[in-house]
Amino acid sequence: MLRFLIVTATVLGLALSAVGSAQAADSKQVYDFYCAQCHGTDGKGRGINVTKDFATDPRNLTSSSEMEKRSDEDLRGVIKDGGPSISKSALMPPWGATLTTDEVEGLVKYIRKLCDCKGK
Amino acid sequence: MRLLAVTVSIGAALLVMTAAPSYAAGGDAIFKKSCTGCHYTDGPAKEKTIADQLAKKGPELWYAGSKFQKDWLAAWLQNPKPIRPLKYNSLTDKNPGDHPKLSAGDAAAVTDFLMGLKSPEVKAGVIKPNESAQARNIFGKKAPCGGCHEYPVKGEVHGGKSGPSLVGASKRLNPDWVYAYLTNIKAFKPVRGMPDFASVLNKKDLASVAAYVAAFE
Repeated sequence: MLRFLIVTATVLGLALSAVGSAQAADSKQVYDFYCAQCHGTDGKGRGINVTKDFATDPRNLTSSSEMEKRSDEDLRGVIKDGGPSISKSALMPPWGATLTTDEVEGLVKYIRKLCDCKGK
Repeated sequence: MRLLAVTVSIGAALLVMTAAPSYAAGGDAIFKKSCTGCHYTDGPAKEKTIADQLAKKGPELWYAGSKFQKDWLAAWLQNPKPIRPLKYNSLTDKNPGDHPKLSAGDAAAVTDFLMGLKSPEVKAGVIKPNESAQARNIFGKKAPCGGCHEYPVKGEVHGGKSGPSLVGASKRLNPDWVYAYLTNIKAFKPVRGMPDFASVLNKKDLASVAAYVAAFE
C-alpha cells in the first residue's frame, strides 16, 4: 500500500511538474511575441523598437529594485490597461483586449522570474 | 416551361458571374504557382495561436484588394522594396529584401487577382486622408503608433521597427482599410503583435488616426 502511494505521488508530482513547465514555456512565448519588441527578449528594456525616437526607456524587467516596488496587481493593470493606468508612458499600450486572463497571469509570473523578485 | 428554365439558367449564370471576382487571365494561376508558399488568400483569418502566426512566412493576403491601392501594388510586385524593417515574424533579423520580382505582365495579372480579394469589413468612402492636430496628438502621444511603426517627418524616417512601416502609406494603403483594421483588428489579424486600440479609442479618434496615416508620404 505504501509503495502504491509513493508511486502515485511520484507520478502525480511529475505530471504537475510537466504542466508547470508547459505553462512557463507558453508564458515565454507570449512574452517574446508581445513584450520583447520593446522590453527585449532578455527583459532589460532594450527591444528593437527602442530607437532615438522612443520617448522613454521601457522598464528594465530584470531590475529587482524597480520591480519589487510594483505589486502583482500593478503589473496586471499595466499589462491590461497600459502605462497611463499607473501614470506612466502611453508607449506601454493596453493589451487587455488582446490577451486572455491566463496569458496575463502567465506574464506576471514570467516577469517575476525575470526580476527574481516579489511584488510589494 | 422551357422559357422558365432558360430564364432561371441565365439568371443563375449571371449570379455566379457577379458573385465571383473577375481576374485578368492567369493572375490566380501565377499566384498559386509562385506565391502560396508564403501567402494565403482564402480567408477568413486562419491563425488561432501564436504558433500559427509564427508558422507563416509572409502576410495573409485574403483581404489584399481592400488593403492595397492597385497602382502601388502593380508597381511594387515588379520592384519590391521592404515594407517591414525586420524579416517577417522576427525581432532580430533585418528584412533581407528578397521578395521575388514579377514581370510587368505577371505583376498586372497578379494585381488584378489580389485586388479582387475584398473584405466585407471594409466600407468604401469613409476615410479621406487628413493631417489633423487631434490625430497627431493620438498618433504621437495618446496611443503612440510610432513606438512600433516607422513614419515620415519632413522626409526623414522616424519610429519603431517591429511593425510594418507607415512611410508611403498614402500611396500603398486604402484609407478605408486602415480604419476598418483599427476598429476591428481581430477580423483581419486575430494573432498579432499590435494591441487592439478600439478598446481605448472611440471611432471618431480611430477615424482621425486612419486619415492621418493615410496622408503619410
